[in-house]
Amino acid sequence: MAASLSSSGSARLMTALARSSMLHNSFESRSLHVTAVCCKNRAARIRIGKGDRPLTYEQAHHPHQIAHRKGWLSQHTSNLKGVEGAAERTVEDVFIRRFMFGTFHGCLANEVVIKRRGNMLVVCALMLQKLPPQKFYFLIGYSESLLSHFYKCPVKLDIQTLQDKAVYKYL
Amino acid sequence: MAAPCRHVGHHIKRNGSFLRINLDQLFASRGFRWTSALQQQGAEVHKESKEPIVIPRKKSWSSEAVLEALASTVHRDPTAYPYQFQDDPYLSPRTSAEFKLFSLSQESGRAAAKYFINNNPKFFTKDFAEPHIPCLMPESVALRLEEVSEEALKERITLRKVSAAVEMYDQLLQAGTSVSMETTQELLDLICLYCDKNPVQEGEPEVEDAEEAGEETKRRKHKGRRAADHLRTSWKENNNAERIFNLLPEKDSRCYSALIRGMVKHGAYSKAFSLYTDLLNNRLSADVHTFNALISAVPDIRDKFNERWDLITELLNQMNEQKVHPNLLTFNSVLKALRRCGFLAKTYAPQTLNEMKALGIAPSLATYDHILAVFYKSGSSGPNNTDIIQDMLTELEGTSFTCQDPHDVFFFSSAMRICLDSKDLELGYKVHSLVEVGDNWRLLGDSYQQSVFYGRFFSLLCMMEHIDVVLKWYSRIIPSLYYPNPQGMRDLLQALDTDGRLDLLPTIWKDIKTLGHDNKVDLVEELLSLMAREEHSPEVQESFAACALDVKSVFDGRSSMEWSTSSLSHVTTLLLRANKLQQAWDMLLLFKAKNRVPSEVLLNNFLSVCQSSGAPKRAVELVQLAAAFCLPATPVLAKTALAEFQLTDEQRSILSEFEAAPEKETE
Repeated sequence: MAASLSSSGSARLMTALARSSMLHNSFESRSLHVTAVCCKNRAARIRIGKGDRPLTYEQAHHPHQIAHRKGWLSQHTSNLKGVEGAAERTVEDVFIRRFMFGTFHGCLANEVVIKRRGNMLVVCALMLQKLPPQKFYFLIGYSESLLSHFYKCPVKLDIQTLQDKAVYKYL
Repeated sequence: MAAPCRHVGHHIKRNGSFLRINLDQLFASRGFRWTSALQQQGAEVHKESKEPIVIPRKKSWSSEAVLEALASTVHRDPTAYPYQFQDDPYLSPRTSAEFKLFSLSQESGRAAAKYFINNNPKFFTKDFAEPHIPCLMPESVALRLEEVSEEALKERITLRKVSAAVEMYDQLLQAGTSVSMETTQELLDLICLYCDKNPVQEGEPEVEDAEEAGEETKRRKHKGRRAADHLRTSWKENNNAERIFNLLPEKDSRCYSALIRGMVKHGAYSKAFSLYTDLLNNRLSADVHTFNALISAVPDIRDKFNERWDLITELLNQMNEQKVHPNLLTFNSVLKALRRCGFLAKTYAPQTLNEMKALGIAPSLATYDHILAVFYKSGSSGPNNTDIIQDMLTELEGTSFTCQDPHDVFFFSSAMRICLDSKDLELGYKVHSLVEVGDNWRLLGDSYQQSVFYGRFFSLLCMMEHIDVVLKWYSRIIPSLYYPNPQGMRDLLQALDTDGRLDLLPTIWKDIKTLGHDNKVDLVEELLSLMAREEHSPEVQESFAACALDVKSVFDGRSSMEWSTSSLSHVTTLLLRANKLQQAWDMLLLFKAKNRVPSEVLLNNFLSVCQSSGAPKRAVELVQLAAAFCLPATPVLAKTALAEFQLTDEQRSILSEFEAAPEKETE
């Protein structure tokens, strides 16, 4: 959809057309709004660098490895045939990821995994042992309660802690 | 039906000619022999002769029946962390202090979230839950109605804003509008319940009466009560409740009831009784809750036992006259008051029980607890016959309870105390099995009561049971249900000693460290003395030596822990027995550093180990050290060293000095 329309070639064409129509001063010109693109061959790929950048397993594998070497970060049934609400689930996921990143600032060791079971939201996260456990529990109680009231469904957090980030390779 | 047709066809084939003649006749006459209904009837009669078919009634299952059946196949996992916490070793509590800290911090996180939600309701009002979930909606905390009206007063009462409600009421009276009786009664209930103070909102500091609260807490601390009692409020003279009550034109029994119960709850007992006499003078009748409150206040009014009992009987008679039916809480308050009536309790408690039985009120755990308290005084060990508690437990076996009285939670810990005092293991097992029935674990109370119960149970086991069973229970209840205190660990050490399983001491030391009891000096010293008391097999000695080194590192790590002579010598002995000469030598230097004197036995021990491992230089150093301490044993040591070791001449000369030295010094 957005990808096919907004490849750079067609964008240049359309802007050229728009400009030409403006030159002709016609009132039927409609400009095309193009969002910022992320091409398929650049999405979620960390490029090779000097060899000092540590990557986790999640970051090191490219998106085409999902279902081969990677799993899914967000699990729900809205993408099955006849089930609605995929867009709403995606928006919820985006909010939850930003919320977790901000609340447990600097403590996330890896991406947040979101699972939906029944009407329950399970947010699974790997954390670094940067805070003492009582502060973790304060934040856990706070996030669970706030997200439950926000999404009107029980939200559970599954936290596992690590000393350091688990490095898979260096790029 | 197929059967009759077949019969008919068969019949016709066989008796064809006969039938053709008779068919017309047969069909002319009613011919009901071959109609299907008759054939059926024949079949039914045939079946009924065998046995009756009973179709069972349809069973209706609850919607969670499958889940409950599955849950009953899974038992408690003693190795799992408590379910409130995350399943991670870093985030799981290892001591009871950590348990409390983590659960409180989680609760305060929830309270912080609730504060945000209630103060910014506009972000949380979108309701897409089907069906509607009321507990996930923001609560209205802010007042909406500002004008002086009865609706505004009602709103303040529902939102539990005590001072605002009282203000609104005064404004209404000043404006001259009459407030309905219903609302006034609710207002009185509110004020009396909260003792004229606003209930503490989560997240808001208690600004008002901070100094008074501080005074009260100091008084309470001196009495040595637990933190929960700090919140007990006291009824002030002529507070808003009394003022509003006196302003009322007609006072009905509900208003009296609110005031009396509030006074009893907050400690103004004599006032409660005077108000009750007012009520009687006005020929009103009180309800059962008022009577319950008055009965529970009796021991604070009268001092002598028989006076107390007389007052209780008087109240009960008045209850009877006013045709008020007693309930379970009435009898529980009678028994609770009887606990403070000394010797009278043993006569009147059974009578109270009979009354309960006559009225058909089933006793709750609080009733049983009061009876146990009456018949088993704490601390008195001796020929206490355990008949009563035995009968009680046999009767209660397999029953599951619900909480009907706040005092129910004390039953299990007092029952276990009695088992511990009478050293009855079977009884202890019975009490424990009662806890495991159904949902009875909920009646163990808060974490403090639970720790008391399991602490007493564990001490009973350590005292009376074989060590294998003790260790089995140890793995079952520690640390998932109970974090033992130092006394509990000491009981365990004693049990290990009694049954001669001292080889398990290093694992117990690891547990002591995990539980955070490694800063208790006397516990550590007891452990060391148990380890150092006798010689064991070489592997055990190795493990003891490793454990001793661990203890040493703990002592060195903490500045608050002081080495004593006995602990130093025990550690040194353990190291020597495992032939760790270098570390033992470090220990002797530590003696010097801490200004403690090693014993003669220790030095002889050291010398013999030196000889067996062949370290003559060490032996000379040892004699020098002994001389530095000015020990009287120095010449003996020097002599043995000279005799038994292969020494160089230099060393010989040093030693021979020491042989003679002390005599010179004494002069």
